Amino acid sequence: MVTAELVQTHVGKVQVRRGGSGAPVVYLHSATGEGEGLALLDELAATYDAIAPMFPGYGESEGIEQIDDMEDAVFHLLDLFDQLGLVSPAVVGLSLGGWMAAELATRYPERVSSLVLVNPAGLYIKGAEIKDIFGRTPDVMALDLFADQNQPMAQMMHAMADLQPESVSFEMIKPYYQTMAATARLAWDPYLHDPKLRKRLHRVTAPTLVIRGAHDTLIPRAHAEAYVAEIPGARLVELEECAHLLSIEKPAELAAQVRDHVGVKA
Amino acid sequence: MRFFSFHLMPYPDLPADYDGPAWVTVPNTLYDPAVGSKLYNRYLDELIYAEELGFDGVCINEHHQNAYGIMPSPNLMASILARQTSRVKIAVVGNALPLYDPPTRVAEEFAMIDNISNGRLIAGFVVGGGPEYYSFSINPAHARERFQEAHDIIMKAWTEDGPSEFIGRHYKLRFVNTWPKPVQQPHPEVWIPGAGSLETLEFVARNRYAYMGIPYFHIDVFERQFRLFREACESEGYTYDPKQAGWLTPIYVAETDEQARREYEDHWWYFAKRLLPGIEISPPGYTSLRSVENILKGRGSFAMNLETWDQVVEGQYAIVGSPETVYEQLERDIVRLGTGNLLGLFQLGSLPEDLTRRNLELFASEVMPKLAERFPEGQAIIDSASAVA
Repeated sequence: MVTAELVQTHVGKVQVRRGGSGAPVVYLHSATGEGEGLALLDELAATYDAIAPMFPGYGESEGIEQIDDMEDAVFHLLDLFDQLGLVSPAVVGLSLGGWMAAELATRYPERVSSLVLVNPAGLYIKGAEIKDIFGRTPDVMALDLFADQNQPMAQMMHAMADLQPESVSFEMIKPYYQTMAATARLAWDPYLHDPKLRKRLHRVTAPTLVIRGAHDTLIPRAHAEAYVAEIPGARLVELEECAHLLSIEKPAELAAQVRDHVGVKA
Repeated sequence: MRFFSFHLMPYPDLPADYDGPAWVTVPNTLYDPAVGSKLYNRYLDELIYAEELGFDGVCINEHHQNAYGIMPSPNLMASILARQTSRVKIAVVGNALPLYDPPTRVAEEFAMIDNISNGRLIAGFVVGGGPEYYSFSINPAHARERFQEAHDIIMKAWTEDGPSEFIGRHYKLRFVNTWPKPVQQPHPEVWIPGAGSLETLEFVARNRYAYMGIPYFHIDVFERQFRLFREACESEGYTYDPKQAGWLTPIYVAETDEQARREYEDHWWYFAKRLLPGIEISPPGYTSLRSVENILKGRGSFAMNLETWDQVVEGQYAIVGSPETVYEQLERDIVRLGTGNLLGLFQLGSLPEDLTRRNLELFASEVMPKLAERFPEGQAIIDSASAVA
């Protein structure tokens, strides 16, 4: 069973969901800040010690004002790993979390035993730019994030388009605004990438799997291909009938890919 | 009461078949330099005319990559006005500080304008609109911090002996030592426009600057904002001076109410429906959570969402009518707000030159003298119901 606790770090208290037993697998969330009630965590907790921290600024985690960029983000992850007794866990990251995982694995390869990058951000590829996430409305974003627009979260994002300004309460937009503000801190400029990351990816030593949702129109396929080309021995798997937010769209399939790549001790 | 003529310098010729936003992504293929060349000169003439008509000052502002106001550099306009006028205050409201790197540039240019005009500059500082953070790719999460640091650098440049050092989180300047210094000592009057952000209200009160309410909201929203401002001043241990509060509003005067509406309404809707869309974009992290809550309270009443002329009149989004009507409405509103500066937008949207000039003339001759008499300078006249308890 996955339970949540607050862990004290140098930047403040951060929320960590954890459950199951076995080899440690850390899940780094996307800019959506998914974590609460995430079926993927239950799937992973069935075979692993599954650990899902909320990054500062997301959920109940504090300290985003002390974090300016991915370098600070990586140092925060190191602190958190030490705090949680994680020497060299497997790391799975989606989108923004995938970028963060790649930054960690290039700078401190000894702290990542196995790497799964799911629709990772982090690179700039001319002619295959990541679409805008800061200026578009949720109903339009949903088209890029989900293969099936009937998915409950996609439906919720579409419903937001029909709201009149006067009927939008502070409580309704607060979590969304907080999440986007945290993402802006990390990824406004340069937009969702680190110009130095690509030339450093050869430093990754962990066995690496890059997973791409076949219908992801937010991050073009060229990004997954670039990660696979630059990280030694990395391989690419494409999942059908899904787009960008794979942890929400395809939790069972994603967990199966993690088990296949990371392995499960008998 | 001090009277200012404010110009946005809007682009009046967006094609009828363009229905996109007027900001950030509005294609610049829609900009016609032949039109623009005439516009800049016409708009400058309208500001210069305000001096002739007896206004106390003129106001200009800064916006980028948009059709709402084609004034990316108000300082260029101000330097022309400094030479072509001789009496009026020149209020640049303002420079968007976080967009300047290093911000000593603002201290230098403002000081130049103050020197050329022999002490007539009013220095406005703004955080910059939401769209500017897209147009400049500057991180909106740093907006407030950069504004604060830039402000501190400018004040240091103006009021402390140089050279000195400023090492902040966003700006690191080893030698702050600007030439020239402003004529007005210790520094020009400072105005800060705001849309209800609590940080801004508190910042203005703390520094004893003046707060200018950004228009296009229901009059109730302004009443609340200025009440919060007066309370912020009280929290700082003093009672606000009406000179510290300014209300910016579109004004149109014609011979009769009926004629005023007939001449003005289309231009108002061009402004509200064609030039405002896109201005409301609020980039993430640009405002603190508690200010989001405060701003949200007024958002439903934003002018862009209006549909009928009755709503415009009811919410006092624009003050339109005969000289008598305009006087009566302004008198009633100013008593509610307690503001000592009236910033009128006498040209709005696609309002043409002849109507703009007659509007200025009628206001200056028929309305301004009566308001000046009703609201003597330095005297706070506020309706007791909305005054600080």
